[in-house]
Amino acid sequence: MLCDVNAFLGSWPFSIVPEYSAPQLADYLAQSGIRRAVVSHLGAVFQPDPMLANRKLLAAVRRTPALAPLPIVNPLLANWREQLTELGANAAVRAVRILPNYHNYALKSRRLDPFMDALAEAKLKLVLTARLEDERHRYFALRVKGVPCKAIAAFLARFPDHHILCTGVPLFDIQNLAEKHANFSSDLSYAENITMMEMLRDKIAPSRLMFGTFAPLVSARAQAAKLTQSPLTAQERKLIYAENARRFFSL
Amino acid sequence: MRIIDVHTHPVFMRRGLQRTEIDWLVAHGRALGIERMVTLGDVLLHGRFPTGEQISAINDVTAQVQSWYPDYFVSFCFLNPTLGERHVMSEVERCVTKYGFKGLKLEICNNASDACMKPVMEAARRWNLVVLQHSWSMTNIKQRSFHTDPADTALLARRHPDVKIIMAHLTGCGVRGVLEAKGLPNLYIDTSGGLPDEGLIEYAVEHLGVDHVLYGSDLPGRAATVAIQRVVGARLTPAERKKILYDNSARLLQLN
Repeated sequence: MLCDVNAFLGSWPFSIVPEYSAPQLADYLAQSGIRRAVVSHLGAVFQPDPMLANRKLLAAVRRTPALAPLPIVNPLLANWREQLTELGANAAVRAVRILPNYHNYALKSRRLDPFMDALAEAKLKLVLTARLEDERHRYFALRVKGVPCKAIAAFLARFPDHHILCTGVPLFDIQNLAEKHANFSSDLSYAENITMMEMLRDKIAPSRLMFGTFAPLVSARAQAAKLTQSPLTAQERKLIYAENARRFFSL
Repeated sequence: MRIIDVHTHPVFMRRGLQRTEIDWLVAHGRALGIERMVTLGDVLLHGRFPTGEQISAINDVTAQVQSWYPDYFVSFCFLNPTLGERHVMSEVERCVTKYGFKGLKLEICNNASDACMKPVMEAARRWNLVVLQHSWSMTNIKQRSFHTDPADTALLARRHPDVKIIMAHLTGCGVRGVLEAKGLPNLYIDTSGGLPDEGLIEYAVEHLGVDHVLYGSDLPGRAATVAIQRVVGARLTPAERKKILYDNSARLLQLN
């Protein structure tokens, strides 16, 4: 069984992929052997107040047990404490996602210090998304760059007590970050190579890798094949397929 | 499931060109149902402007790979069109007559709409070779002076309607690239490149016709497992899937 830590509801304005309802997304993922998924709402990427989309997300996944909510928070909005309080009050929420470059702040911002403290107090985990798409061939007017590896490294070093799951990180960046930062975990949605697992094995323990897809914008079946058709050890399969996600998100 | 992978670079594997690496790759490919791989060479080994000697050395390595598995690899001759007609013609003749190469591979030495492509297309015509042109949307990548946009590949196809051309990298070309390629009977598109975006293969089939879509992986930078399952998972009929994975490339490259 696979657990996807990087799936989405809502629509991406520049994609030809239609919007899925929560049950439709769960069915789509299940067809590729993905029985559980941690899901954010794409509306929270672009709307000025992410809570509108977060509330839609929480309502949408309530009756779809295969999907767990991962709300998106903007720590630079004046009401970020209210956001966290509201989300933290929902028992289904175990973590929040931040999108620094879509929400126009740098990871080095000092305003993240109280935010990280508040996350710890609320016992919420953090998912840091480096990118949501391939910058090379996306819609021309969207000029958001991926979060640089150096910025992620500095952030990890600044908050060593927070174990952070990063998504949308390229293979070589995963290798670099894993070696120096014990509090770094990564999904594999953006990593690919014919010998991907061989290249990762020397650099990062399987306990720090999780399966992710970008579904439904990216083919879940193709992303699943990255693992299901790789020569993984039994331990790697157990951990990366779902166990690490279960533990991180307390699923 | 029978597969021909029309876009591979099996020479820059992790430990470099070694027989054991190629043995592993062929076994890996066969286990996935890949019966033939088109090998395009280590095209970025010497940067963007390889010299004539470097071009020949790259093609010699491609020939070496082919010689280890002559029934598996189908080789394309890598060219730097900016080196001029004499070099292009002699290198193509050498690779076709000495090694039996089946096609030409163009990367980022120049834009496909440049005048230096004329002798390349003349060579393709003379030796009945398929041309595979690296293509990627240049809307965000500001390199169009030397890096080919799908619109440039489509222009190349319009200028040379008697030469069969593969526009590489469906994902990098995107919806706009598919629409650029529409209605050009001598132009095909391969499914390689980038993340396996959902819906794009179906879009290409709808607009270009299934006969114009070819399976490609761009390994080793991308994984064949991912590229194959992207096609298998697309909303296609079994007959359409079979055409994309095998029949279209077999026919185009006359492999049966």
